[in-house]
Amino acid sequence: MQPLLHLDNVSKRYGAVRVLDGIDITVADNEFLTILGPSGSGKTTILRIIGGFEGIDGGRLMFEGRDLSAVPINRRPFNTVFQDYALFHHMTVAENVGYGLKVRGRPKAEIAERVAEVLDTVGLGTLGGRYPALMSGGQRQRVALARAIICEPRLILLDEPLSALDVELRAQMQRFLKSLQRRLGIAFVFITHDQEEAIALSDRIIVVNRGRIEQEGAPEELYRRPRTPFTASFLGDNNLIPGRLAAVDGRLCTVDTAAGRLDATVDGPAPAPGSAVLLAVRPEHVRLDADPAARDGLPADVADVRFLGANVMIELLTPALPGAVIKVRRLADGAVAGLRPGASVRLGWAADDAALLQAAP
Amino acid sequence: MGVMNTPLRRDRQDLLRAGLGHALNLGLPLLFVVIPILSFVVVSFWTLQDGQILLIPTLANYRAFFTEGSYLSVYLQTVGLSLQVTLVNVALSTAIALFIFRRTPRMRFLILMSFMLPLFMSYIIKVYSIRSILGQRGLLNEAMLGLGLIDQPIEALLFSRTAIFIALAVLYLPYAILPIYLALDRIPANYLAACADLGATPLQALRDVVLPLARPGIAAGAVFTFILTFGDFVTPQMVGGTQGFTFGRIVFSQFGLALNWPLGSALAVILLATTLLAVALAGLSLRREHVR
Repeated sequence: MQPLLHLDNVSKRYGAVRVLDGIDITVADNEFLTILGPSGSGKTTILRIIGGFEGIDGGRLMFEGRDLSAVPINRRPFNTVFQDYALFHHMTVAENVGYGLKVRGRPKAEIAERVAEVLDTVGLGTLGGRYPALMSGGQRQRVALARAIICEPRLILLDEPLSALDVELRAQMQRFLKSLQRRLGIAFVFITHDQEEAIALSDRIIVVNRGRIEQEGAPEELYRRPRTPFTASFLGDNNLIPGRLAAVDGRLCTVDTAAGRLDATVDGPAPAPGSAVLLAVRPEHVRLDADPAARDGLPADVADVRFLGANVMIELLTPALPGAVIKVRRLADGAVAGLRPGASVRLGWAADDAALLQAAP
Repeated sequence: MGVMNTPLRRDRQDLLRAGLGHALNLGLPLLFVVIPILSFVVVSFWTLQDGQILLIPTLANYRAFFTEGSYLSVYLQTVGLSLQVTLVNVALSTAIALFIFRRTPRMRFLILMSFMLPLFMSYIIKVYSIRSILGQRGLLNEAMLGLGLIDQPIEALLFSRTAIFIALAVLYLPYAILPIYLALDRIPANYLAACADLGATPLQALRDVVLPLARPGIAAGAVFTFILTFGDFVTPQMVGGTQGFTFGRIVFSQFGLALNWPLGSALAVILLATTLLAVALAGLSLRREHVR
């Protein structure tokens, strides 16, 4: 099936700085796609290129098979929710929301009717007469959304729209965004640096770093099976253990590390035996045995125990892996209540919970 | 060990300091603005008899404005001229400010500064250079002659109402460009992006977002121009000749030539009232302004 939007090998440079280096992104109809990356990764540039605020230096931008490069901003069938909303402060909420229809020359009665409809959709039914300055952050956010959806675009671009909201409102707006996207059936391209937000919202995540795509896939796939060290450490926490791939047997791999032979699993093609690899183990997947009689696993000492509310984060030092701090996340229950820095434990993990990554070249 | 500051003494000192602060806050404007203005308001109610100013309260000076000579007609003509100058000046300045606004940030500063340059020059030099441009053998006439647009120099360029009009419009351009440009500069950059994103053409964005948000600056520029034009008496005299008898010149002549301070003061009060009215009207037009 032809994608709705296709960034085909797109490059962008500012002067001598290459911001995007041959990026290839497709957006499907009705999809909630998140572009996730740290600041300076090029994610905002991607959004600005789609929106038409930036040109490209290489590649093509295709919309339903048509080249969009020469189409000006005001003729692209997309609308943007800006990071700080960019609501016109001299217009009422209704005027802001109806502006897209007004410039298209629609009759006043039709605009009023559509504005009322859309304000209802975003839950601001009665606030059309207000000025944006008199609204809360969450309400302004909804106005920006209403303004973006009223022209029924094929695609909505959202530039870190939740970053200005406090934690509670943020969670509420996340749920709202997701349900709105499902109801409207419009593709959302969402930019964020917040991996939790990306995981909670997206059908698909594209992780970008330094102007390149690191990895893309469904949130769960990216979380469980990171393929690059960057994805492994940017999406949630990971313990990364360097080694050399010794043998591959189906999904099961054996890796030579400083702590001896360790097992890991790989989805898809495995690296060549002998190549430098990393084992990635989530803190919540590390097994911990405080029984002095235990003989399984690597001996380790507790370096630090941090209480985080529902969880505790335990940091371990093991002589088998000098210099490495192994992080362990546990529910803050009775099983960890007695753990103190200095205690001796044994640690381990199931081979299934250790993902194999190609080490950075 | 030095003298301890007892709490009581500190309280007293704070009180004294606060009192002094308030006295300055109120006293300085009172001393430098209100009292000088009030003084000529007071003088405007005094009587002139045989060249002597007598402290007899009278409304005769104000009556004279409405009934005697050409005061009222010159006043109305000057209001008309000032309104025309304001209109042309604001239109030009808005165009220039928009032009500057659309350059790259570095160019903006350069162009803005070059338009502000006249502010750093002496008023007299500016008026003389305008005279040398408009004169019979001036730049404008010579240029038009050279281009074959006219057969002989146009005399009416200088010492005419047109000359005053052109001179004032040019002279007060920077005073309107600056506030308008500053208002444009305060428009968040992403407003224009949002306009385009919502499908607006550049012209629609100008009409719906840029100009409405520039309105405070335009109003300020208009008020500046009107006030400065209305009170100006040097420019009309120097480029207008006998044709340029404006209200400002009448006020000036009452203090200078005629030595009729009470009448001069009354006319000055009327001038002040007119400019205050202009400020009030401008303020009224901005009432619907919404702060972000």
